[in-house]
Amino acid sequence: MIKLIKKLLPPPSWRIPLLFVSGILVGMFAFLFYISKAHTYLSDDPATCMNCHIMAPQYSTWFHSSHRERAVCNDCHVPHNNFLNHYYFKAKDGMRHATIFTLRAEPQVIFIKEAGQEVVQQNCIRCHGDMLNSGNTKMYTTEYDDFREARHCWECHREVPHGRVNSLSSVPNARVPKPGSAVPAWLKNVMNKKK
Amino acid sequence: MKSISEMVTKKPWLGWVLFTGTIGIVFLLGLLAASIIERRSEAEFTYKPDVIFGETEPRNEIWGKNFPREYASWLETSDTNFRSKHGGSASRDILEEDPRIVILFAGYAFSKDFKQARGHYYAIEDIRATLRTGAPKEGVPGPQPNTCWTCKGPDVVRVMKEKGVKGFYAGQWETLGSEIVNPIGCLDCHDPKTLNLLITRPGLIEAKSSMGIDVNKSSHQELRTLACAQCHVEYYFDKKKYDGVSYLTFPWKNGTSVEEIESYYDSIEFTDWVHGVSRAPMLKAQHPDYEIFMTGVHYKRGVACADCHMPYINEGGQKFSNHHVQSPLNNISASCQVCHREETADLIYDVYSRQDKIKEIRDQLEIQLVWAHFEAKAAWDNGANETQMKPILKLIRQSQWRWDFVAASHGSSFHSPVEVARIITHGLDKAREARMQLQRVLLTLGVKTGIPYPDISTKAKAQKLIGIDFTTLQKDKNEFLKNTVPAWLSKAVEREKKYKVKYLNAE
Repeated sequence: MIKLIKKLLPPPSWRIPLLFVSGILVGMFAFLFYISKAHTYLSDDPATCMNCHIMAPQYSTWFHSSHRERAVCNDCHVPHNNFLNHYYFKAKDGMRHATIFTLRAEPQVIFIKEAGQEVVQQNCIRCHGDMLNSGNTKMYTTEYDDFREARHCWECHREVPHGRVNSLSSVPNARVPKPGSAVPAWLKNVMNKKK
Repeated sequence: MKSISEMVTKKPWLGWVLFTGTIGIVFLLGLLAASIIERRSEAEFTYKPDVIFGETEPRNEIWGKNFPREYASWLETSDTNFRSKHGGSASRDILEEDPRIVILFAGYAFSKDFKQARGHYYAIEDIRATLRTGAPKEGVPGPQPNTCWTCKGPDVVRVMKEKGVKGFYAGQWETLGSEIVNPIGCLDCHDPKTLNLLITRPGLIEAKSSMGIDVNKSSHQELRTLACAQCHVEYYFDKKKYDGVSYLTFPWKNGTSVEEIESYYDSIEFTDWVHGVSRAPMLKAQHPDYEIFMTGVHYKRGVACADCHMPYINEGGQKFSNHHVQSPLNNISASCQVCHREETADLIYDVYSRQDKIKEIRDQLEIQLVWAHFEAKAAWDNGANETQMKPILKLIRQSQWRWDFVAASHGSSFHSPVEVARIITHGLDKAREARMQLQRVLLTLGVKTGIPYPDISTKAKAQKLIGIDFTTLQKDKNEFLKNTVPAWLSKAVEREKKYKVKYLNAE
């Protein structure tokens, strides 16, 4: 380890300016971490998804649905089969969302992608499995396994829980959590006092 | 691999590449940070209103700038083209359609003028125009107190905040004429900050608390009924609470059924007016819409007023409550068919058949009541005394109270047909008992021939019979509308100019 650092060290005449520049580099990363609220992405709080304001239709339709009482975004949209897959998928999906949001490449109407559909379907079964495994269902439905594997729950339960179609402009008056100002309250106080 | 130190010492240009490269990376990271901040601050603007107004802003058009869809649909309450078989949004002269009602309300303002209410949009216009509010002018006070404004619009919320509830109810109706100018709208049901449903009228809050219920703990679905129950209820003016104040009170202390409300009125010996023909101490039912709706099957199943009268609609991909409050018969697909998968004509038939059948028995009760009033008059005219008449007049009071509870309640025969039929049946029984006792009194007074049913085939004939000079009343009213009302309006315009409104986006 020490060897590696020694190899990376610049000659003495370079050290001072590079110390400053690399300090700025580290600081910039810290700043990015702070303003993008990166730490919140480790939590399951639905307000985290509202860090991107274009999620308002999804947030507010969920907030008015019965699922609000039992399930948050991550309960359905992130896999729960194992710990590694949980965070791998979350990171992968999160990076894709962040990239599209940064590039302003979001479509007017957001639809779920195939990978996401599979995750949601498995999570439907995770909670509502009893409904699929009961003897009743098997008795009524001869194509039981077919239905379970070949169809999605929402082919019939089409309004659950977000309604059918949500364009970015479908909830202009929704009261949703906002990321808020990046300037901390104490700093605002200091600035206001000077006036 | 050699160390960087050695490489840079050998080739100094490599040091410069590393140095500027790091600077370049920091620069790009800065750009990314700027982009994140930019998108993050978008959220602050995306969900910001266009207009910021005060907590007592009464003007619906100002709220409408922030909520154009709700406002545009609310404006449609100005439509008067829908006529159903028994109701609708058109102005219908109830006394013209059913002159018996002139007799039933003899001695009371409703015998002068009684029109079916139009949409919320006309609340102010229509209360000014009805003959019931008279034609107040300099030196001639009007017949009604300020309490009559209570349900007419959002200015009430503002004035109640300024003067207090008691202060609002005090004084004659004309003293607030220039204050209450905006018709029933946004501030009547909504919190101006959060737009949540809000109970603004003290009548409902006080009545519910007299029954041990805290209105503020209601669920959203309950509020979608209670917002309407602020006004669409039975009420009376309590003149004993404060001297010279007509304090709006809902008579729910014993319960909300027709009998429980009656028992409350009896216990406080309350009488709305003494009947002009029979001299019976009468009760006037106002519009117990909420009370009767509560006895019906839709209420039992958790349906709120707003579910049928302001159903959700979709416009431009946006779902919102239709603020065109109206008869669901004019909007079957959004109101009924959301739950009932039947043909439109079939659903309308179901409503009309209930209304027709209730109307049938209600008319029977009306005829009995007209007769009872005139037979009582004949008894008085032939020398009957107080002792003889007292139990009879009480029966007439009870019978007409039951008739009125049904007749005055909007949509009662649909909201709860079985309860309504039960009430009418008891009304008919009371009328029968009253008329039977009257026959006995008349016989003891030597009147052996039956009292003929009066000729009240038109509103004009009926009003003439009880001595109402419609032409003069209308003439005075026209003068009032021509002279007094414009002065109220210009005063209101001056006041409203002073309200603080902040436009965030350029107009």
